[in-house]
Amino acid sequence: MEDDLKIILFLCNWCPHAAFQTLQDTLAPLPREIRMIRIPCGGRITKSLLFKAFETGADGVALVGCEPGTCRYGIGTRVAERNVEDTRGILRLLGLGEERLGFVSFYPDQSSELLDFLIGFKDRIQELGKTPVDYPRRTKKPELSPESAASILAAHNINVCQDCGKCSSACPVALSGKQFSPRAIANAAVAGDLDSSCIKEDIWSCLTCGLCYDRCPSAVNFPDFIKEMRNAASTNGRFEAHEGFFHSLMRAMTSARLPVEHWRWLPPEIQTDPKSKILFFGGCAPYFDTFFKNHLAISTSDILADALRLMNFFDIHPAIMHNERCCGHDLLWSGDRDNFVKLARLNVEMISKMGIEELVTACPECYRAFSHDYPENGIETGFKVTHIFELAEAEISKGAVGFAKLNRKITFQDPCRLSRTQTGCQLPRNLLERLNVRAFTEMRDRGASSLCCGNCAWTGCDSYSKAMQVNRLRQAKETGSDLLVTACPKCQIHLKCAMEDPFLEDEIRMEMMDLTSILARTIQWE
Amino acid sequence: MDDSPTAKFKKEILITGLGGQGIILAGQVLGTAACIADHLESTLTQSYGPEARGGACSAQVIISNKQIHYPYVRSADIIVCMSQSGYDKYRHMLADDGILIIDQDMVRSAEGAGGGLFPIPATRIAEELGRKMMANIVMLGFVTSVTGVASLQGMLSSVSDSVPKGTQSTNIAAFNKGYDFGQALLKARQKKAAAKKGADS
Repeated sequence: MEDDLKIILFLCNWCPHAAFQTLQDTLAPLPREIRMIRIPCGGRITKSLLFKAFETGADGVALVGCEPGTCRYGIGTRVAERNVEDTRGILRLLGLGEERLGFVSFYPDQSSELLDFLIGFKDRIQELGKTPVDYPRRTKKPELSPESAASILAAHNINVCQDCGKCSSACPVALSGKQFSPRAIANAAVAGDLDSSCIKEDIWSCLTCGLCYDRCPSAVNFPDFIKEMRNAASTNGRFEAHEGFFHSLMRAMTSARLPVEHWRWLPPEIQTDPKSKILFFGGCAPYFDTFFKNHLAISTSDILADALRLMNFFDIHPAIMHNERCCGHDLLWSGDRDNFVKLARLNVEMISKMGIEELVTACPECYRAFSHDYPENGIETGFKVTHIFELAEAEISKGAVGFAKLNRKITFQDPCRLSRTQTGCQLPRNLLERLNVRAFTEMRDRGASSLCCGNCAWTGCDSYSKAMQVNRLRQAKETGSDLLVTACPKCQIHLKCAMEDPFLEDEIRMEMMDLTSILARTIQWE
Repeated sequence: MDDSPTAKFKKEILITGLGGQGIILAGQVLGTAACIADHLESTLTQSYGPEARGGACSAQVIISNKQIHYPYVRSADIIVCMSQSGYDKYRHMLADDGILIIDQDMVRSAEGAGGGLFPIPATRIAEELGRKMMANIVMLGFVTSVTGVASLQGMLSSVSDSVPKGTQSTNIAAFNKGYDFGQALLKARQKKAAAKKGADS
């Protein structure tokens, strides 16, 4: 049984289920590899549910629904089509092959057609073979124990909290109106009240943006404390955004045999060199673009292409890793250290094998993970980690480089992982000041005090996140700018999501562009 | 220089600027590098006006692989101008195929030269590095970069031997800044000649 193929059949309750029942009633030879799950409607099977099957070891997944027009709920078939299309895009990037996800519809009387399809699908999966995804047998973490809480308290010196409340008065989550207070979390932890909602729920609402750490007179590293508490607490999928799709994706990527195809979309004019000692590590932007294609229509892969163009401009032709995986940042920050470490080891092993001496990235989270979180978790990288802004600043300051006029008024959204915790907020500003734009105006909350885009590590997104984003976009509008410059693909995703609001529309809608893209598109030799 | 030892190699270099800019020291560093590190012959002569500081002055360096019989510049292969007055006074001495190097903020009215005109904001760069008086060292880095008249290694050791103790590392940083600027400028010209201006073309 262990070697048997595992094929999941999501079967709509309405039209095709009747056909399936006929097959069962007539003792038709249904392939035994197929496990049927009866669902209320094909449109209810989200990308996350489709992918979760692959993450947990399915060799093939078939979504069988109703013909367009016969959907009981009207739009189910169309929704299912979109979900399948996006999930197939993800499977393609992962190298799993989109054929592993089947999608068809049948009328209730098409039982023989359904049987033909099921047998054909099983044969096709048999040709493709077993999935290269190792099912991550997750050990169920125990509840947060008083001992582990005490050791985290001691390690982060939470006892020095003076109860002054500066953290809560600065916390963007608290200011957006949520019953949330870093101080109260600290108090509950000190008092050992592990069952309180402060511990059980609020640790998943924290943005880990680090504003409280910046304000704390006792220098309590609150984001780090939250990270450790999440890792010690029993996993709570309830707080995962997008139904945990990205967490599933990252866990699937811990499989060493997965033949990921991360860079197939790269425009051909971009020059890379497999023998280079410099690696450009792109990050998950292609997955984001695929997942959000039908919703936000974002294009964060442009940032990666533009970062490479910028390097090419300086005659740097870096290597790229065709089977590049996620850096694992979000696994660590959402409490799954086991899989983070697994992914990190795999990354370092693959990169070391290429003989890389320097890793360049345009993603603040990849940068943070490689330069900080990997060594902190005992994974020595052995290569230098550089953010594309550091590289650009060093190259541009050599001279003879200028910028073409960009006829826009700009403002800047700081990414927390870069401005507050790593290079400081001056680095992107040095570059912004070099640009040849009509005006650069800072927002009310800026630099070390800037507001988070509303979410981190795909955890704890709710209506308060939305309120925070709307507030942030209003600040951006207030500057009179017509272009919001970002420096993290996720800032774009989250702020774009808030802009979809049908009531606020133009009040908060604003064009966005990553600083890397602006640099690459306006830089020129003088 | 790595040029073949049998061929005649001779460069006449004229550095001009204002008294106090370190013009003479620049000439000395350049000549020393050619002599000590690159094993060539070199001479240095200097002239400055009656004012101790602020007047026009010049350093004349000759570098050759043969004995130098006459230490004054007659037809300069390279002229480095760090002030407008220096430019006005010495521009006519540049050979037809000579290279003209200027501090672009100090010399406002430079015309092109047969061997090329290379501008650098040396004083501004030195100011950004925290010490205006290092403009001469920035300029030396730039001269080394665009003309290759002395070797990089020779210049680096000559700079650190010639500047006051305790300021070596800042002076080396200034030198490298000028050198990098020169390399970037050469690259920019090369790219533009190949009709590649921005990152997307």
